[in-house]
Amino acid sequence: MKEIIHNVFIIEREGKEILATKSKYGSHYGERKIGEFREWIPSRSKLAAMILKGHIIDIKPDWKVLYLGAASGTTVSHLADIVDEGIIYAVEYSAKPFVKFLQLAEERRNIIPLLEDASTPWKYNGIVEKVDFIYQDIAQKNQIEIFFANIDMFLKDGGEGVIMVKARSIDSTAEPEVVFDRVVEELGEKLEVLAHGSLEPFHKDHIYVHVRKTK
Amino acid sequence: MKWNVWFGEVVEEDGKLIAKKSNDLVESFKNASNPEALPFNLPEVGLQVFESLEDYYKTLRKIALKVTSEKVERELKREDRYVILLLKALDKLNESINMLEEKLRDIEEVKISDTTEDFRERIEELKRLRRRIEKEIEDVITKIAPNLTEIAGAVIAARLLEKAGSLERLAFLPASKIQILGAEKSLYKALARMRRGKPAKTPKHGIIFIHPFIRTLPKRKRGRMARFMAAKLAIAAKLDYFKGELDENLAESVRKKYEELRREKDKPKKEESKQEPKEEKPKKKKKKPKHR
Repeated sequence: MKEIIHNVFIIEREGKEILATKSKYGSHYGERKIGEFREWIPSRSKLAAMILKGHIIDIKPDWKVLYLGAASGTTVSHLADIVDEGIIYAVEYSAKPFVKFLQLAEERRNIIPLLEDASTPWKYNGIVEKVDFIYQDIAQKNQIEIFFANIDMFLKDGGEGVIMVKARSIDSTAEPEVVFDRVVEELGEKLEVLAHGSLEPFHKDHIYVHVRKTK
Repeated sequence: MKWNVWFGEVVEEDGKLIAKKSNDLVESFKNASNPEALPFNLPEVGLQVFESLEDYYKTLRKIALKVTSEKVERELKREDRYVILLLKALDKLNESINMLEEKLRDIEEVKISDTTEDFRERIEELKRLRRRIEKEIEDVITKIAPNLTEIAGAVIAARLLEKAGSLERLAFLPASKIQILGAEKSLYKALARMRRGKPAKTPKHGIIFIHPFIRTLPKRKRGRMARFMAAKLAIAAKLDYFKGELDENLAESVRKKYEELRREKDKPKKEESKQEPKEEKPKKKKKKPKHR
Protein backbone atom coordinates (compact mmCIF):
# COMPACT_ATOMS: atom_id res chain seq x y z
CA MET A 1 0.00 0.00 0.00
CA LYS A 2 1.44 3.32 -1.05
CA GLU A 3 0.14 6.87 -0.64
CA ILE A 4 0.89 8.75 -3.84
CA ILE A 5 -1.15 11.90 -3.19
CA HIS A 6 -2.79 12.96 0.06
CA ASN A 7 -5.43 10.28 0.69
CA VAL A 8 -4.80 8.60 -2.67
CA PHE A 9 -3.44 5.08 -2.41
CA ILE A 10 -2.36 2.22 -4.59
CA ILE A 11 -3.70 -0.79 -2.77
CA GLU A 12 -3.35 -4.45 -3.47
CA ARG A 13 -6.46 -6.44 -3.94
CA GLU A 14 -6.61 -10.04 -5.09
CA GLY A 15 -3.13 -9.75 -6.51
CA LYS A 16 -3.99 -6.63 -8.50
CA GLU A 17 -3.00 -3.07 -7.82
CA ILE A 18 -5.88 -0.66 -7.76
CA LEU A 19 -6.25 3.04 -7.20
CA ALA A 20 -8.36 4.20 -4.27
CA THR A 21 -9.00 7.18 -2.07
CA LYS A 22 -9.25 7.06 1.69
CA SER A 23 -12.76 8.08 2.57
CA LYS A 24 -15.11 7.96 5.48
CA TYR A 25 -18.05 8.12 3.11
CA GLY A 26 -19.91 5.37 1.28
CA SER A 27 -19.95 4.44 -2.39
CA HIS A 28 -21.25 7.14 -4.72
CA TYR A 29 -21.34 5.69 -8.23
CA GLY A 30 -21.19 1.96 -7.65
CA GLU A 31 -17.48 1.80 -6.89
CA ARG A 32 -16.28 -0.83 -4.41
CA LYS A 33 -15.70 0.08 -0.82
CA ILE A 34 -12.65 -1.72 0.53
CA GLY A 35 -12.28 -1.04 4.22
CA GLU A 36 -11.75 2.68 4.58
CA PHE A 37 -11.01 3.05 0.87
CA ARG A 38 -13.15 3.79 -2.14
CA GLU A 39 -11.94 2.30 -5.40
CA TRP A 40 -11.22 4.99 -7.99
CA ILE A 41 -12.16 3.59 -11.36
CA PRO A 42 -10.06 4.94 -14.27
CA SER A 43 -12.63 4.16 -16.94
CA ARG A 44 -15.15 6.29 -15.06
CA SER A 45 -12.88 9.14 -14.00
CA LYS A 46 -10.37 10.80 -16.31
CA LEU A 47 -8.41 12.13 -13.37
CA ALA A 48 -7.91 8.57 -12.13
CA ALA A 49 -6.86 7.57 -15.64
CA MET A 50 -4.28 10.37 -15.71
CA ILE A 51 -2.82 9.27 -12.39
CA LEU A 52 -2.64 5.65 -13.50
CA LYS A 53 -0.91 6.77 -16.67
CA GLY A 54 1.83 7.95 -14.33
CA HIS A 55 1.19 11.67 -14.15
CA ILE A 56 0.81 12.49 -10.49
CA ILE A 57 -0.14 15.99 -9.37
CA ASP A 58 0.57 16.76 -5.77
CA ILE A 59 -2.86 18.07 -4.85
CA LYS A 60 -2.68 19.58 -1.35
CA PRO A 61 -5.36 18.84 1.23
CA ASP A 62 -6.16 22.53 1.73
CA TRP A 63 -6.42 23.50 -1.94
CA LYS A 64 -9.33 25.53 -3.20
CA VAL A 65 -10.55 23.94 -6.40
CA LEU A 66 -12.80 25.07 -9.23
CA TYR A 67 -14.25 22.07 -10.99
CA LEU A 68 -15.91 22.64 -14.37
CA GLY A 69 -18.17 19.92 -15.70
CA ALA A 70 -19.00 18.19 -12.43
CA ALA A 71 -21.75 16.01 -13.97
CA SER A 72 -22.99 13.45 -11.45
CA GLY A 73 -19.90 13.80 -9.30
CA THR A 74 -17.87 10.66 -9.98
CA THR A 75 -14.53 12.45 -10.03
CA VAL A 76 -15.59 15.18 -7.60
CA SER A 77 -16.33 12.56 -4.95
CA HIS A 78 -12.69 11.43 -5.01
CA LEU A 79 -11.32 14.94 -5.29
CA ALA A 80 -13.37 15.79 -2.21
CA ASP A 81 -11.59 12.96 -0.37
CA ILE A 82 -8.26 14.50 -1.36
CA VAL A 83 -8.89 18.15 -0.49
CA ASP A 84 -10.44 17.26 2.85
CA GLU A 85 -9.43 20.62 4.33
CA GLY A 86 -10.16 22.59 1.16
CA ILE A 87 -13.18 23.57 -0.88
CA ILE A 88 -14.44 22.46 -4.28
CA TYR A 89 -16.61 24.82 -6.28
CA ALA A 90 -18.34 22.43 -8.65
CA VAL A 91 -19.95 23.88 -11.79
CA GLU A 92 -22.32 21.97 -14.03
CA TYR A 93 -24.89 23.36 -16.43
CA SER A 94 -27.11 20.38 -16.99
CA ALA A 95 -29.77 19.72 -14.38
CA LYS A 96 -30.26 15.98 -14.85
CA PRO A 97 -26.90 14.65 -13.65
CA PHE A 98 -26.86 17.29 -10.94
CA VAL A 99 -29.71 15.55 -9.12
CA LYS A 100 -27.28 12.79 -8.24
CA PHE A 101 -24.55 15.31 -7.63
CA LEU A 102 -26.64 17.09 -5.02
CA GLN A 103 -26.75 13.92 -2.92
CA LEU A 104 -22.98 14.07 -2.83
CA ALA A 105 -22.94 17.78 -2.06
CA GLU A 106 -25.40 17.25 0.78
CA GLU A 107 -23.14 14.74 2.48
CA ARG A 108 -19.74 16.37 1.88
CA ARG A 109 -18.94 19.54 3.71
CA ASN A 110 -16.31 20.75 1.22
CA ILE A 111 -18.43 20.95 -1.93
CA ILE A 112 -20.22 24.07 -3.17
CA PRO A 113 -22.59 23.09 -6.02
CA LEU A 114 -23.29 25.61 -8.77
CA LEU A 115 -25.75 25.03 -11.60
CA GLU A 116 -24.17 27.44 -14.04
CA ASP A 117 -22.76 27.59 -17.55
CA ALA A 118 -18.97 27.44 -17.36
CA SER A 119 -18.72 29.59 -20.48
CA THR A 120 -20.13 32.56 -18.54
CA PRO A 121 -17.81 32.82 -15.50
CA TRP A 122 -18.91 36.39 -14.81
CA LYS A 123 -22.25 35.01 -13.69
CA TYR A 124 -20.66 33.29 -10.70
CA ASN A 125 -17.63 35.44 -9.94
CA GLY A 126 -19.33 36.88 -6.87
CA ILE A 127 -19.47 33.36 -5.43
CA VAL A 128 -16.25 31.58 -6.37
CA GLU A 129 -13.05 32.75 -4.69
CA LYS A 130 -9.51 32.70 -6.10
CA VAL A 131 -8.49 29.07 -6.40
CA ASP A 132 -5.30 26.99 -6.44
CA PHE A 133 -6.49 24.50 -9.00
CA ILE A 134 -8.91 24.42 -11.91
CA TYR A 135 -10.05 21.11 -13.33
CA GLN A 136 -12.10 20.98 -16.50
CA ASP A 137 -13.83 18.08 -18.14
CA ILE A 138 -16.32 19.50 -20.62
CA ALA A 139 -16.63 17.90 -24.03
CA GLN A 140 -17.43 21.04 -25.95
CA LYS A 141 -16.10 22.63 -29.06
CA ASN A 142 -15.04 25.82 -27.30
CA GLN A 143 -13.70 24.09 -24.22
CA ILE A 144 -10.30 25.78 -24.47
CA GLU A 145 -11.92 29.19 -24.55
CA ILE A 146 -13.97 28.27 -21.49
CA PHE A 147 -10.84 27.06 -19.71
CA PHE A 148 -9.03 30.34 -20.40
CA ALA A 149 -11.97 32.45 -19.29
CA ASN A 150 -12.16 30.68 -15.93
CA ILE A 151 -8.40 30.74 -15.44
CA ASP A 152 -8.36 34.48 -16.05
CA MET A 153 -11.19 35.00 -13.64
CA PHE A 154 -10.33 32.64 -10.79
CA LEU A 155 -6.89 31.02 -10.84
CA LYS A 156 -4.21 32.42 -8.52
CA ASP A 157 -0.85 33.27 -10.07
CA GLY A 158 1.22 30.11 -9.89
CA GLY A 159 -1.97 28.07 -9.65
CA GLU A 160 -2.37 24.95 -11.72
CA GLY A 161 -4.97 23.51 -13.99
CA VAL A 162 -5.85 20.30 -15.73
CA ILE A 163 -8.00 20.11 -18.83
CA MET A 164 -9.31 16.91 -20.34
CA VAL A 165 -9.61 17.29 -24.10
CA LYS A 166 -11.70 15.15 -26.34
CA ALA A 167 -10.47 15.29 -29.92
CA ARG A 168 -13.81 14.57 -31.49
CA SER A 169 -15.64 17.39 -29.77
CA ILE A 170 -13.11 19.98 -30.92
CA ASP A 171 -12.88 18.84 -34.51
CA SER A 172 -14.64 15.68 -35.58
CA THR A 173 -13.04 15.53 -39.00
CA ALA A 174 -9.34 16.00 -38.21
CA GLU A 175 -7.03 13.29 -36.90
CA PRO A 176 -6.93 13.27 -33.08
CA GLU A 177 -3.15 13.77 -33.04
CA VAL A 178 -3.46 16.91 -35.12
CA VAL A 179 -6.17 18.27 -32.83
CA PHE A 180 -4.09 17.52 -29.74
CA ASP A 181 -1.00 19.26 -31.12
CA ARG A 182 -3.08 22.30 -31.90
CA VAL A 183 -4.66 22.31 -28.45
CA VAL A 184 -1.35 22.00 -26.60
CA GLU A 185 0.09 24.78 -28.70
CA GLU A 186 -2.90 27.02 -28.04
CA LEU A 187 -2.70 26.41 -24.29
CA GLY A 188 1.04 27.04 -24.38
CA GLU A 189 0.52 30.53 -25.76
CA LYS A 190 -1.01 31.74 -22.52
CA LEU A 191 0.03 29.17 -19.94
CA GLU A 192 3.00 27.07 -18.99
CA VAL A 193 2.32 23.51 -20.14
CA LEU A 194 3.73 21.22 -17.45
CA ALA A 195 2.72 17.92 -18.99
CA HIS A 196 0.34 16.30 -21.40
CA GLY A 197 -0.43 12.79 -22.51
CA SER A 198 -3.04 10.38 -23.70
CA LEU A 199 -5.64 8.65 -21.54
CA GLU A 200 -5.65 5.43 -23.57
CA PRO A 201 -6.74 2.74 -22.96
CA PHE A 202 -9.15 4.13 -20.37
CA HIS A 203 -10.60 6.89 -22.55
CA LYS A 204 -10.31 6.81 -26.30
CA ASP A 205 -9.08 9.90 -28.17
CA HIS A 206 -8.69 11.93 -25.02
CA ILE A 207 -5.68 13.72 -23.61
CA TYR A 208 -4.96 15.56 -20.39
CA VAL A 209 -3.01 18.79 -20.32
CA HIS A 210 -1.54 20.03 -17.07
CA VAL A 211 -0.81 23.76 -17.00
CA ARG A 212 0.36 26.48 -14.68
CA LYS A 213 -0.57 30.16 -14.67
CA THR A 214 2.51 32.32 -14.66
CA LYS A 215 2.55 36.09 -14.38
CA MET B 1 -16.85 50.84 -7.05
CA LYS B 2 -19.38 48.26 -6.04
CA TRP B 3 -19.39 44.50 -6.47
CA ASN B 4 -22.20 42.01 -6.18
CA VAL B 5 -21.15 39.08 -4.04
CA TRP B 6 -23.11 36.10 -2.77
CA PHE B 7 -23.44 37.49 0.75
CA GLY B 8 -24.43 40.98 -0.35
CA GLU B 9 -22.20 43.77 -1.59
CA VAL B 10 -18.65 44.95 -1.35
CA VAL B 11 -18.10 48.67 -1.81
CA GLU B 12 -14.96 50.69 -2.04
CA GLU B 13 -14.97 53.75 0.18
CA ASP B 14 -11.88 55.92 0.61
CA GLY B 15 -9.71 53.19 -0.79
CA LYS B 16 -11.08 50.66 1.67
CA LEU B 17 -13.19 47.64 0.92
CA ILE B 18 -16.32 47.35 2.98
CA ALA B 19 -18.50 44.26 3.03
CA LYS B 20 -22.24 44.63 3.46
CA LYS B 21 -24.33 41.62 4.29
CA SER B 22 -27.68 41.28 2.58
CA ASN B 23 -30.89 40.44 4.40
CA ASP B 24 -31.81 37.94 1.75
CA LEU B 25 -28.85 35.70 1.05
CA VAL B 26 -30.75 33.60 -1.49
CA GLU B 27 -31.43 36.71 -3.54
CA SER B 28 -27.89 38.06 -3.30
CA PHE B 29 -26.50 34.62 -4.18
CA LYS B 30 -28.54 34.62 -7.37
CA ASN B 31 -27.28 38.07 -8.31
CA ALA B 32 -23.60 37.54 -7.57
CA SER B 33 -22.52 38.52 -11.04
CA ASN B 34 -19.88 41.07 -12.06
CA PRO B 35 -18.52 42.02 -15.48
CA GLU B 36 -14.88 41.70 -14.39
CA ALA B 37 -12.90 39.52 -12.02
CA LEU B 38 -13.06 40.72 -8.42
CA PRO B 39 -9.90 42.59 -7.36
CA PHE B 40 -10.02 41.00 -3.91
CA ASN B 41 -10.40 37.54 -2.47
CA LEU B 42 -13.95 36.82 -1.35
CA PRO B 43 -13.55 34.99 1.98
CA GLU B 44 -11.06 37.58 3.24
CA VAL B 45 -13.49 40.44 2.74
CA GLY B 46 -16.34 38.20 3.85
CA LEU B 47 -14.74 37.89 7.27
CA GLN B 48 -15.93 41.42 7.96
CA VAL B 49 -19.48 40.11 8.16
CA PHE B 50 -18.93 36.48 9.15
CA GLU B 51 -17.63 35.29 12.51
CA SER B 52 -15.09 32.91 11.04
CA LEU B 53 -14.08 31.20 7.83
CA GLU B 54 -15.94 28.17 9.05
CA ASP B 55 -19.06 30.26 9.38
CA TYR B 56 -18.43 31.75 5.93
CA TYR B 57 -18.19 28.38 4.15
CA LYS B 58 -20.97 26.82 6.16
CA THR B 59 -23.35 29.61 5.15
CA LEU B 60 -22.17 29.63 1.53
CA ARG B 61 -22.69 25.91 1.26
CA LYS B 62 -26.14 26.06 2.77
CA ILE B 63 -27.29 28.77 0.36
CA ALA B 64 -25.66 27.12 -2.65
CA LEU B 65 -27.41 23.85 -1.89
CA LYS B 66 -30.75 25.54 -1.47
CA VAL B 67 -30.55 27.65 -4.62
CA THR B 68 -29.11 24.84 -6.74
CA SER B 69 -31.69 22.26 -5.67
CA GLU B 70 -34.49 24.65 -6.51
CA LYS B 71 -32.92 25.48 -9.86
CA VAL B 72 -32.45 21.80 -10.72
CA GLU B 73 -36.02 20.99 -9.87
CA ARG B 74 -37.37 23.87 -11.88
CA GLU B 75 -35.30 23.08 -14.93
CA LEU B 76 -36.20 19.43 -14.96
CA LYS B 77 -39.86 20.12 -14.78
CA ARG B 78 -40.25 22.66 -17.50
CA GLU B 79 -37.59 22.47 -20.12
CA ASP B 80 -38.99 19.80 -22.43
CA ARG B 81 -42.39 21.46 -22.42
CA TYR B 82 -40.69 24.76 -23.21
CA VAL B 83 -38.90 23.34 -26.27
CA ILE B 84 -42.06 21.78 -27.61
CA LEU B 85 -44.04 24.98 -27.27
CA LEU B 86 -41.25 27.04 -28.81
CA LEU B 87 -41.12 24.64 -31.73
CA LYS B 88 -44.85 24.90 -32.30
CA ALA B 89 -44.64 28.67 -32.14
CA LEU B 90 -41.74 28.54 -34.59
CA ASP B 91 -43.83 26.61 -37.12
CA LYS B 92 -46.60 29.16 -36.91
CA LEU B 93 -44.11 31.96 -37.19
CA ASN B 94 -42.70 30.43 -40.35
CA GLU B 95 -46.13 30.16 -41.85
CA SER B 96 -46.87 33.78 -40.97
CA ILE B 97 -43.64 35.09 -42.39
CA ASN B 98 -44.20 33.27 -45.68
CA MET B 99 -47.78 34.44 -45.90
CA LEU B 100 -46.96 38.05 -45.06
CA GLU B 101 -44.09 38.14 -47.53
CA GLU B 102 -46.39 36.90 -50.23
CA LYS B 103 -48.94 39.60 -49.47
CA LEU B 104 -46.25 42.24 -49.38
CA ARG B 105 -44.98 41.15 -52.76
CA ASP B 106 -48.51 41.46 -54.16
CA ILE B 107 -48.84 45.00 -52.83
CA GLU B 108 -45.39 46.05 -54.01
CA GLU B 109 -46.18 44.95 -57.53
CA VAL B 110 -48.88 47.59 -57.54
CA LYS B 111 -47.24 50.34 -55.56
CA ILE B 112 -44.26 50.92 -53.29
CA SER B 113 -44.99 53.34 -50.49
CA ASP B 114 -44.00 54.24 -46.94
CA THR B 115 -46.50 51.72 -45.77
CA THR B 116 -44.89 48.90 -47.69
CA GLU B 117 -41.52 49.97 -46.29
CA ASP B 118 -42.95 49.74 -42.81
CA PHE B 119 -44.50 46.39 -43.69
CA ARG B 120 -41.14 45.05 -44.81
CA GLU B 121 -39.47 46.23 -41.64
CA ARG B 122 -41.98 44.36 -39.53
CA ILE B 123 -41.32 41.18 -41.46
CA GLU B 124 -37.61 41.59 -40.89
CA GLU B 125 -38.36 41.92 -37.22
CA LEU B 126 -40.25 38.64 -37.29
CA LYS B 127 -37.30 37.01 -38.97
CA ARG B 128 -35.04 38.18 -36.17
CA LEU B 129 -37.47 36.71 -33.69
CA ARG B 130 -37.39 33.47 -35.64
CA ARG B 131 -33.61 33.27 -35.42
CA ARG B 132 -33.79 33.92 -31.71
CA ILE B 133 -36.32 31.16 -31.14
CA GLU B 134 -34.23 28.75 -33.18
CA LYS B 135 -31.20 29.56 -31.08
CA GLU B 136 -33.16 29.11 -27.88
CA ILE B 137 -34.51 25.74 -28.99
CA GLU B 138 -31.00 24.63 -29.82
CA ASP B 139 -29.64 25.75 -26.45
CA VAL B 140 -32.33 24.07 -24.43
CA ILE B 141 -32.48 20.80 -26.34
CA THR B 142 -28.70 20.43 -26.05
CA LYS B 143 -29.07 20.82 -22.33
CA ILE B 144 -31.99 18.50 -21.66
CA ALA B 145 -31.23 15.87 -24.30
CA PRO B 146 -27.47 15.88 -24.93
CA ASN B 147 -27.38 12.37 -26.38
CA LEU B 148 -30.26 12.84 -28.78
CA THR B 149 -28.76 16.13 -29.91
CA GLU B 150 -25.31 14.64 -30.37
CA ILE B 151 -26.66 11.95 -32.67
CA ALA B 152 -29.44 13.72 -34.50
CA GLY B 153 -28.64 17.42 -34.20
CA ALA B 154 -30.78 20.01 -32.44
CA VAL B 155 -33.48 20.25 -35.10
CA ILE B 156 -34.30 16.56 -35.35
CA ALA B 157 -33.94 16.05 -31.60
CA ALA B 158 -36.46 18.82 -30.96
CA ARG B 159 -38.86 17.44 -33.58
CA LEU B 160 -38.70 13.96 -32.08
CA LEU B 161 -39.46 15.46 -28.70
CA GLU B 162 -42.40 17.34 -30.14
CA LYS B 163 -43.83 14.26 -31.84
CA ALA B 164 -43.45 12.15 -28.73
CA GLY B 165 -44.96 14.84 -26.52
CA SER B 166 -42.38 14.81 -23.74
CA LEU B 167 -38.94 13.53 -22.99
CA GLU B 168 -40.46 10.91 -20.73
CA ARG B 169 -42.68 9.55 -23.48
CA LEU B 170 -39.85 9.60 -25.98
CA ALA B 171 -37.73 7.62 -23.53
CA PHE B 172 -40.35 4.89 -23.43
CA LEU B 173 -40.88 4.60 -27.19
CA PRO B 174 -39.45 1.56 -28.96
CA ALA B 175 -36.84 2.18 -31.65
CA SER B 176 -39.22 1.06 -34.38
CA LYS B 177 -41.61 3.83 -33.44
CA ILE B 178 -38.87 6.45 -33.30
CA GLN B 179 -37.79 5.36 -36.76
CA ILE B 180 -41.12 6.32 -38.27
CA LEU B 181 -42.10 9.24 -36.01
CA GLY B 182 -43.48 11.86 -38.35
CA ALA B 183 -44.45 9.32 -41.01
CA GLU B 184 -47.56 8.06 -39.25
CA LYS B 185 -49.78 8.85 -42.17
CA SER B 186 -47.94 6.68 -44.65
CA LEU B 187 -47.47 3.97 -42.04
CA TYR B 188 -51.19 3.67 -41.39
CA LYS B 189 -51.92 3.84 -45.08
CA ALA B 190 -49.55 0.95 -45.66
CA LEU B 191 -50.95 -1.01 -42.76
CA ALA B 192 -54.48 -0.47 -44.04
CA ARG B 193 -53.52 -1.74 -47.47
CA MET B 194 -51.90 -4.80 -45.95
CA ARG B 195 -54.99 -5.54 -43.97
CA ARG B 196 -56.93 -5.59 -47.19
CA GLY B 197 -54.43 -8.07 -48.54
CA LYS B 198 -52.77 -5.66 -50.93
CA PRO B 199 -49.02 -5.28 -51.30
CA ALA B 200 -47.61 -2.29 -49.39
CA LYS B 201 -44.39 -1.05 -47.90
CA THR B 202 -44.14 0.55 -44.49
CA PRO B 203 -42.14 3.75 -44.43
CA LYS B 204 -38.42 3.53 -43.76
CA HIS B 205 -38.14 6.79 -41.91
CA GLY B 206 -40.03 9.76 -40.54
CA ILE B 207 -38.43 12.89 -39.17
CA ILE B 208 -35.02 11.31 -39.04
CA PHE B 209 -34.96 11.29 -42.84
CA ILE B 210 -33.68 14.88 -42.80
CA HIS B 211 -30.53 13.70 -41.04
CA PRO B 212 -27.62 13.96 -43.50
CA PHE B 213 -26.49 10.43 -42.65
CA ILE B 214 -29.73 9.09 -44.05
CA ARG B 215 -30.51 11.60 -46.74
CA THR B 216 -27.13 11.32 -48.42
CA LEU B 217 -27.20 7.54 -48.72
CA PRO B 218 -28.65 5.84 -51.79
CA LYS B 219 -32.24 4.79 -51.35
CA ARG B 220 -31.61 1.11 -50.85
CA LYS B 221 -29.36 1.77 -47.87
CA ARG B 222 -31.48 4.35 -46.14
CA GLY B 223 -33.66 1.78 -44.45
CA ARG B 224 -30.72 0.11 -42.79
CA MET B 225 -29.26 3.40 -41.67
CA ALA B 226 -32.61 4.61 -40.36
CA ARG B 227 -33.13 1.41 -38.41
CA PHE B 228 -29.69 1.63 -36.87
CA MET B 229 -30.00 5.29 -36.04
CA ALA B 230 -33.44 4.82 -34.52
CA ALA B 231 -32.07 2.06 -32.29
CA LYS B 232 -29.35 4.39 -31.03
CA LEU B 233 -31.79 7.25 -30.64
CA ALA B 234 -33.98 5.03 -28.48
CA ILE B 235 -31.01 4.39 -26.21
CA ALA B 236 -30.10 8.08 -26.29
CA ALA B 237 -33.60 9.11 -25.22
CA LYS B 238 -33.43 6.74 -22.28
CA LEU B 239 -30.00 8.03 -21.29
CA ASP B 240 -31.17 11.62 -21.54
CA TYR B 241 -34.27 11.00 -19.52
CA PHE B 242 -32.81 8.87 -16.76
CA LYS B 243 -29.21 10.01 -16.59
CA GLY B 244 -28.76 13.21 -18.52
CA GLU B 245 -25.09 12.70 -19.25
CA LEU B 246 -23.49 12.53 -22.64
CA ASP B 247 -22.20 9.15 -23.78
CA GLU B 248 -19.79 9.82 -26.62
CA ASN B 249 -19.82 6.24 -27.87
CA LEU B 250 -23.40 6.39 -29.05
CA ALA B 251 -23.01 9.10 -31.66
CA GLU B 252 -19.69 7.59 -32.59
CA SER B 253 -21.30 4.24 -33.40
CA VAL B 254 -23.84 5.95 -35.64
CA ARG B 255 -21.10 7.71 -37.50
CA LYS B 256 -19.22 4.44 -37.95
CA LYS B 257 -22.31 2.72 -39.29
CA TYR B 258 -22.75 5.51 -41.78
CA GLU B 259 -19.15 5.26 -42.94
CA GLU B 260 -19.58 1.53 -43.25
CA LEU B 261 -22.71 1.80 -45.36
CA ARG B 262 -21.25 4.54 -47.45
CA ARG B 263 -18.17 2.51 -48.28
CA GLU B 264 -20.06 -0.69 -48.93
CA LYS B 265 -21.16 0.23 -52.43
CA ASP B 266 -17.60 0.70 -53.57
CA LYS B 267 -16.92 -3.01 -53.47
CA PRO B 268 -18.36 -4.13 -56.81
CA LYS B 269 -16.64 -1.32 -58.67
CA LYS B 270 -13.23 -1.32 -57.15
CA GLU B 271 -11.36 0.35 -59.96
CA GLU B 272 -13.55 3.35 -60.11
CA SER B 273 -13.56 4.08 -56.44
CA LYS B 274 -9.81 3.80 -56.21
CA GLN B 275 -9.34 6.81 -58.37
CA GLU B 276 -11.30 9.05 -56.08
CA PRO B 277 -9.63 10.64 -53.12
CA LYS B 278 -10.76 9.11 -49.85
CA GLU B 279 -11.59 12.34 -48.09
CA GLU B 280 -14.15 13.52 -50.57
CA LYS B 281 -17.58 14.45 -49.33
CA PRO B 282 -20.19 11.72 -49.42
CA LYS B 283 -22.67 13.73 -51.44
CA LYS B 284 -20.63 13.96 -54.59
CA LYS B 285 -19.32 10.46 -54.41
CA LYS B 286 -22.73 8.99 -54.09
CA LYS B 287 -24.16 9.65 -57.47
CA LYS B 288 -21.55 8.00 -59.65
CA PRO B 289 -21.79 4.27 -59.11
CA LYS B 290 -25.47 3.84 -59.57
CA HIS B 291 -25.79 0.19 -60.20
CA ARG B 292 -28.63 -2.10 -59.29
